[in-house]
Amino acid sequence: MLKFLLRRTLQSAVALLALVTVVFFLARLTGDPVDLFLPLEATEEARARVAAQYGFDQPIPVQYVRYLGGVLSLDFGPSIFQGRPAIDPVLEAFPVTLMLALVTMSIAAALAILVGAVAAYRPDGVFDRIASVVTLIGASTPDFWLAIVAILFFSVSLGLLPTSGTGGIAFWVLPVGVLLTRPLGVLTQVVRSSFLNALSAPYVRTARAKGASTRRVIFVHALRNALLPVITVAGDLLAGFLNGAVVVETIFGWPGIGHLMISSIRQRDFAVVQAAILVTAVAVFVMNILIDFAYARLDPRVSVRQAKQ
Amino acid sequence: MEYRGLPRVIAGPAVLAISLLAAASLHAKPVTIVVDTEPDQLDPCQIDKSQVGPVIKSNVIETLTEIDPFDGTVLPRLATEWVRLDATTWQFDLRGGVTFHDGSPLTAEAVAVSMRRTLVPELSCESALKYFAAIKLTAEPVDDDTVRFTTDIPVEILPTMMASVGISSLATPLNEITRAPIGTGPYVLSEWVPGQRVVLSAYPGYWGGPAEVTGATYVWRQDSAVRAAMVAAGEADIAPRIAVQDATDGSMDFAYSNAVTTSFRIDGAIAPLDDVRVRRAANLAIDRDALRGTLFSAEAIPAAQQVPPGATGYNPELTPYAFDPGEARRLLAAARADGAPVDTEIVLIGRYNIYSNAEEVVQAVQAMLADVGFKTSIKMTDSAEWFKLALKPFAEGRAPNIFQTGHDNTMGDAVFTVPAKYASTERQATMTVPELDRLIAEASVASGEERRAKFAEALRMIHEDIVPDIILFHMVEFARVNPRITYVPNVSTGTALQLRQISFK
Amino acid sequence: MTLLRHDFLRSPVAVASATTLIAAALFAILGPALFGDVAGKVNLRARNAPPFDLHSGWLNILGADALGRSIVARIAVAARNTIGIAAAAVVASLVVGGGIGVLVGLSNGRMAGFIMRCVDIVMSFPSLLLALVVLYVLSPSPWNVVLVLAITRMPIYVRTARAEVLEIRERAFIAAARVMGGGTRHIAMHHVVPLVLPTLLIVAGLEFALVVLAESALSFLGMGIQPPDMTWGLMVSDGRSYIATAWWVSFWPGLTIVLVALSANLLANWFRGASDPTLRKPRKVGADA
Repeated sequence: MLKFLLRRTLQSAVALLALVTVVFFLARLTGDPVDLFLPLEATEEARARVAAQYGFDQPIPVQYVRYLGGVLSLDFGPSIFQGRPAIDPVLEAFPVTLMLALVTMSIAAALAILVGAVAAYRPDGVFDRIASVVTLIGASTPDFWLAIVAILFFSVSLGLLPTSGTGGIAFWVLPVGVLLTRPLGVLTQVVRSSFLNALSAPYVRTARAKGASTRRVIFVHALRNALLPVITVAGDLLAGFLNGAVVVETIFGWPGIGHLMISSIRQRDFAVVQAAILVTAVAVFVMNILIDFAYARLDPRVSVRQAKQ
Repeated sequence: MEYRGLPRVIAGPAVLAISLLAAASLHAKPVTIVVDTEPDQLDPCQIDKSQVGPVIKSNVIETLTEIDPFDGTVLPRLATEWVRLDATTWQFDLRGGVTFHDGSPLTAEAVAVSMRRTLVPELSCESALKYFAAIKLTAEPVDDDTVRFTTDIPVEILPTMMASVGISSLATPLNEITRAPIGTGPYVLSEWVPGQRVVLSAYPGYWGGPAEVTGATYVWRQDSAVRAAMVAAGEADIAPRIAVQDATDGSMDFAYSNAVTTSFRIDGAIAPLDDVRVRRAANLAIDRDALRGTLFSAEAIPAAQQVPPGATGYNPELTPYAFDPGEARRLLAAARADGAPVDTEIVLIGRYNIYSNAEEVVQAVQAMLADVGFKTSIKMTDSAEWFKLALKPFAEGRAPNIFQTGHDNTMGDAVFTVPAKYASTERQATMTVPELDRLIAEASVASGEERRAKFAEALRMIHEDIVPDIILFHMVEFARVNPRITYVPNVSTGTALQLRQISFK
Repeated sequence: MTLLRHDFLRSPVAVASATTLIAAALFAILGPALFGDVAGKVNLRARNAPPFDLHSGWLNILGADALGRSIVARIAVAARNTIGIAAAAVVASLVVGGGIGVLVGLSNGRMAGFIMRCVDIVMSFPSLLLALVVLYVLSPSPWNVVLVLAITRMPIYVRTARAEVLEIRERAFIAAARVMGGGTRHIAMHHVVPLVLPTLLIVAGLEFALVVLAESALSFLGMGIQPPDMTWGLMVSDGRSYIATAWWVSFWPGLTIVLVALSANLLANWFRGASDPTLRKPRKVGADA
């Protein structure tokens, strides 16, 4: 087990280095922040001076080596726009997104398992049909549309919930509700499908032949196996949230990492972009390790040895 | 020329007592203001940046002078009066009894150091880059209440320019950016939770006495519809900028001039746009009446020049090109007959969100140009790419292009517009017209009536003879104001939203 | 086969879904030819004209957009780009991602670990940065849009396929196939892929809508389709500023996306249920209980 963890960490470190390198060079293909940082009226000399101040006048390989040296000593460089270390805004924003993503995914997974299982219990029944249509509509509705309509309806017309911002439970309802629709739609379909698969698998038939009741078959034997694809897909969706809950963060004024990443990509504030990607990547890698552990726990036939791929 | 300010205000005990009574009344409350972007920093020298100014300018950080939002004259703020000693020397008298939020007094030394700090290259201060780049300026205290500025060239409008220089305490670090500004303003920065809010609270030692508003919380939402909804739902008191289509409630929504002029720059260096007839045809193709009240607010003013009305040098004689598609087609045909490659595809370069509905404006202009026979394609850019294309050096071998742009001049003088936009020595003009360059150079150092006349003549030459752009509108912005407060938005709302101008009903 | 057709005609859901998809396909084929001119016709005086008002002609039956262009005509014309781009991206990521996932699931080597870490990299790479890079280095063309979308949506297929393979590869019949001497390739093609495909197809059906929406985000950045070309996603994102005041500008194209995505999913579900006899078992089980 320890050996697995060690090897996996080593692999991840190599992959992270590759990621940092790719991001570093790709980002520099998109221009530089100096133009945006200075007013349109600034002189060419002023631009050259700022470029020199932040090292953008150096050849890119030199910049890369310097940056890598900094990263190894946990110095991610200064944010040119914010006038402070780039890692600061990233560490402020990351917990916000992590909380939002975890809460949303927990609710989505719980609901999806419930709805998907009940739907698979009687495929093509009334509940199955309605659940399919409703969750699919949710999954294919543009999130910014849903978010603004929800604000206009629940906050302005009904006055029930705050429009936006952070705070107590009331502030969570709309963002989580909007964020929920997509994973709920996807997960419900996946749960339903893998339940149906699991129910046709030989060992479930065996269980049934041994006299297990239908409900017990569905909720104990099938659930265990149906969870595997659910965890995979939920993990992917969670990874997506970590750098992609942008719309919800932006509209509802949640100061999360997606919003930070977009605005710093737009500003070409490379140090912040790089730090943000690195932090989310570490989170994604850790999450994937956890998922593989979960596999090994849930499916006795998948050993850690297999999962470590 | 000499500007004389108001006499010094003497805050006697009686005045103080009355003001304290006012502050203790039921009316004294904090407000919430919802802006579109979080300030990235709050350094006193960045008060001219669009995300910084509305929060701290005139609230936390004050300036020696300020521009009257209604008529553009220079008013006293921390300076009470100023005098031009000779061509290159200005002397400012400071207001007495002013203290910084850290308790230290406002001295000539503090003003001189603030000025020097603004010019420190490493800080990249906005006003230094915008206004002081071509000037060598030294700031020296004469005595405790008098400060003297000496420049290497005559600077006619130094008192105007001082409205952009924030005065901060001597405790402010000289060579690094600060996120904790210490000024003399009526409000103290009491909290900044990054990503969530900035909170200002009243400074009890303010020289002007207390105000009705006891504090302000600033939050930011990128979406105009959300900002409008927050005021409608009572969660915020003022949304200084909402999109024209969200300004639907006459009881809450106010239009105000924001000193922005929108236009398209025509790349006059590339055929067929190097032919003045083609550039004129492009102007005559634009139906401003169809744009106004639809993509632009009905209150926007069709424009013939980039200098806003009321500014020194504004030329009131100029009228916008009329919508005349027939004449436009005739001009194009004439140019074609002379061998101009009129059928070359022209790229309309737009920029996302440069102003409300900017993308639609580009498509509408494309349709109007197509109607008279232009062949165009659209390229939308984000701000970084747009900046690269806006400035010299322009790419060799670029396609002929018409470039969406906008410009704001809140300082009330044509010198903040004309040289940067049209002088070939600067970085934005596509054409080189020596005669215009000479005129601009003369106007920039002239004073009084001569200055006004020279800039007006330059603007006439640009509009009638050179036609380097398609000027659209002097713009208005919309603010949504909660009915529980009284606040009349004005031209400075977008650059310095003064909390002291707010009162409760 | 006749049995299948009989089933189909008896299922109103299947008929409705198929009709919607056929209509969308017809729009994609004929739309640009029929409505190409009208869809691009700017008329600022009909800006945001409301729906169901025939004064400005039947073309504005669903209202007009911010430039006064007929929404119904634009939906018809945009069908070709929208369906073409989304289908190409979904198929590309399904084939490549699913293929990689199956191979990784069946093998044990170091290579598998390496590939999965590469997938991790793609997962933690923000699609927006990739889009910006493509915008700067290549040009914003439909094929580049497909490229960006296919790369960013691929990991989900890799991981789903791998997970399914890990789950089924120890099943008795695969072990039996091994014992009987089937090579990995043979096992993959004949025993694993048929079992993995249904789940992947369900994912792909859902992804169609997500890809259409992701494409709209790219268009918004100038990376996607440039006007005067149009897609449903671009139309929805153009209508974003008018949600509060002119709901129809974003609503109809949004509804079109939902309907087409829904139809694709429902039809896929129906087909899967109708063609796979083993899946009918649980229904009987449920009915018995």
